[in-house]
Amino acid sequence: MAVVTHDTQYVGLVLVSHSGEIVAGLAGLVGQVAGPDVPIATAGGMPDGSFGTDGGQVLDVLRSAANGAGAGAVVLMDLGSSVLAVRAALVELEPEELERIVVVDAPLVEGAVAAGVTASTGADLAEVADAAREAVHVSKL
Amino acid sequence: MSPSSEVVVAARLPERVALHARPAGRFVRAAAGFPCAVVIAANGKRANGKSILEVIGLGAAGGTELELSASGEGAVEAVEHLAALVRTLD
Repeated sequence: MAVVTHDTQYVGLVLVSHSGEIVAGLAGLVGQVAGPDVPIATAGGMPDGSFGTDGGQVLDVLRSAANGAGAGAVVLMDLGSSVLAVRAALVELEPEELERIVVVDAPLVEGAVAAGVTASTGADLAEVADAAREAVHVSKL
Repeated sequence: MSPSSEVVVAARLPERVALHARPAGRFVRAAAGFPCAVVIAANGKRANGKSILEVIGLGAAGGTELELSASGEGAVEAVEHLAALVRTLD
């Protein structure tokens, strides 16, 4: 788990995957494209280093993002148990925490890049979530 | 020219710089700073200049001539600024 906090009003990202390397690499890529201002938190892999999604870690990261200094966070996950872990964590959050979190149904890499760039422009939580959702429809070829 | 007119400027990418993720990110972040709509046309495609995924999707290689257009508030400033950015991307 890596949580990067900034004392800013930028919307942040929470990236959830079966692999810590996937989300660490993706956080690095988003930082390159979107610049250093967007807070990015990650949850990936199991405590023993194996592939999987650790529900406790996901809850900690979501709670931290919901209570951070920024303008809320957009949550993106890869598939399967990542989605289940995020759903389970949402049940544990307080209503005021949920107001600062938007879980987005979008491809992880493309959604994170789109959301990160949009967040870096100072866009609000709804705008950043919309940018991530756009990743479902934009053609690569 | 009325304030609502579309402003169009051509700008060629440097030979060695394709409009890949990082350069596209710089473009989109700059475009987002203007209130007007910005469109990039290249390779027979059009992209919303404020959408990183659409801009990357143009597949514009180094040396490609981009047509930048904007309409609305700040359109002239936007295309001038963005054209200068395109020509100096690295």
